[in-house]
Parts: sequence; C-alpha cells; structure tokens
Amino acid sequence: MFPFSLYAIAGILTGVHLYLLLGLTAYAPAANLLEWIALAGSLCLLAAAGISLFKPRAAARVALIACLLIWTFYAPATVKTLQTKVLRHRVVTEHSVPGEH
Amino acid sequence: MHVAPETIYSVLTYLSLLFLVLATAYAALVSFSSRPDGETASWTFPGPGKGSLRKAVGVAGIALAVGLASWIAFALRGSSRPASRFLIPEGYIGWVKVEFGVSGAPPLPVEGGKCVVRFSPSGFLKTSTPEQSMGERDSYYYYSDSGTHALADRTSGAASLIWGQFHSQAFGSSGKHTYEQFFVGTEQQFKEQVNPTNQAEGNAARGGAVNK
Repeated sequence: MFPFSLYAIAGILTGVHLYLLLGLTAYAPAANLLEWIALAGSLCLLAAAGISLFKPRAAARVALIACLLIWTFYAPATVKTLQTKVLRHRVVTEHSVPGEH
Repeated sequence: MHVAPETIYSVLTYLSLLFLVLATAYAALVSFSSRPDGETASWTFPGPGKGSLRKAVGVAGIALAVGLASWIAFALRGSSRPASRFLIPEGYIGWVKVEFGVSGAPPLPVEGGKCVVRFSPSGFLKTSTPEQSMGERDSYYYYSDSGTHALADRTSGAASLIWGQFHSQAFGSSGKHTYEQFFVGTEQQFKEQVNPTNQAEGNAARGGAVNK
C-alpha cells in the first residue's frame, strides 16, 4: 500500500502542477518540450502505482524511469529558480549597502 | 477564508517537488537493493496488494483511461475550427482586441479556408461572427498599402512578436460579450504593459495605434 500511495500522490501532484504550467503557455512563447516529457512521466508514475499492487519490484523500476522523466523538467527548473533567487538577493544586497562597495 | 491562487500554486510546487524526491528515492532503493533471503514483506520490499484493492484500482484505472480519452477527443473536436489570419496595421505595437457576436457588425470573411481578422489602426475589431478560440494554426501579419508580411509568432520563442493571447468574457446590460486579445510587440514591450485590458480601447480613444 505504501508504494501505491507514494507513486499515486507524486504522479497526481506533478501531473496537476505540469498541467497548470502548460495552461499558462498562452502567456509564453511556446510550450516547453520538457514539460510534455515530464507530464508523460507523471502518467507513467500513475501506471507504476497500479503495477505496484501486483509486482512491487517491477513497479519500482517503472516508477524510477518515470521519476527520471519528470526530473528532466524539474531539475533545470529548480536550478534556474535558485539561480534567480540568489542573483536577486545579491542585487538587493548591493543596492541596500552601497557604502560597502 | 480566501486563499490566493498564487499561494495554492506555490504550495503545489513545493509538494510536487517533495513527493517527487520521495518517490525517486524510494523507487531507487527498491530497484537497486536485493531482498535478503527469508525476509517477509516490509515497507521497503512490500508484497502484492490485497484482492479488493486491486479490483478498486483496476476500476479506477479504467475510469481514468476513459476520462482521459474523452477529454482528448473533446479537445480535438474543439480545435477543428478554421484557422484565423490576423492582419495588423504596419508598425502597430500594443494590444489588439476582437469582440465576437456583435449584432450589426460585419462577419469575418473567409479566404483560403481561414478567417481573416483585419484590425483597424485602433487595434480594435467588432464582428458578428460568433465566438472563436484562437489556436496554434493561426497566422499573424502586418499589412500596409504595399502588401503584407508575416510576424514571428509563439513558435519563434523569444523572438516572437505575439504575446499574452487570451480569451475573456464580460456581462453587461446588453448581454454577454466575448473577446480575444493579444499583444503585438517584443517581449520587453509586452512586459512593460501594466493594464492590458484597456490598452486597445485606449488606443482607439486616442484615435490611432501606438506606432514605432
């Protein structure tokens, strides 16, 4: 039951999140291919949840592949977000403490 | 209690990442570890699920598949409308807006299987043609006395000159009004816009487009 719940919740959460992101592409130049790949990964994760009730070991392998597909979008997106936050922090610091530069 | 959509979206983002990390770690652990001999089912190496749970998941899976297939079929049917050809005055920068289903206004002409949406210098157009959703197959052109030339659209990435395409509805004393709007200009110009809704009407009120 644990793997089923974990894969199902992760698949649903990432699937809904990616679906919402794809819905925002009306305001962006074009939908990112990685978003579609990750969405396919979410569906695979849901499939892995179903398989886990019959063959837990095989389901884990399917889930791992699905997670890697999802990470193709989330990993670069997370790095980019962190970079932006660090850069913004530096800019704010430089503007806030001009005497130190 | 009102919760802002941005808050829900942020929580969803963090939860997605958290469960993705957990699912990845667990799947990797189970995939690459070997079960010790004689060990019974545990959380790391669980046994198959119960029969009733399998049946419930089977039914839910079939329902999900049928739902997905219906949704895709519905989406494909909805996208079978003719594509549109948007003609924008040469040099126009700003929001353009189409209002559909206006009684007394001219219908949109169809040329070569495409609806032709020709904006006036104000960037605003009223038509009696019923509501139409814009789509991927639409094309965008600047027009002038010397002819037309294509504008880079969303498929061109950051070089696109078409931004923020959206559909809206308004309800007033004269009934429901349906609009389609998008911004014509560079990404930088698009970001500088603050009040998109009234921009096209504002241009119209000033009596002309915002030209380069």
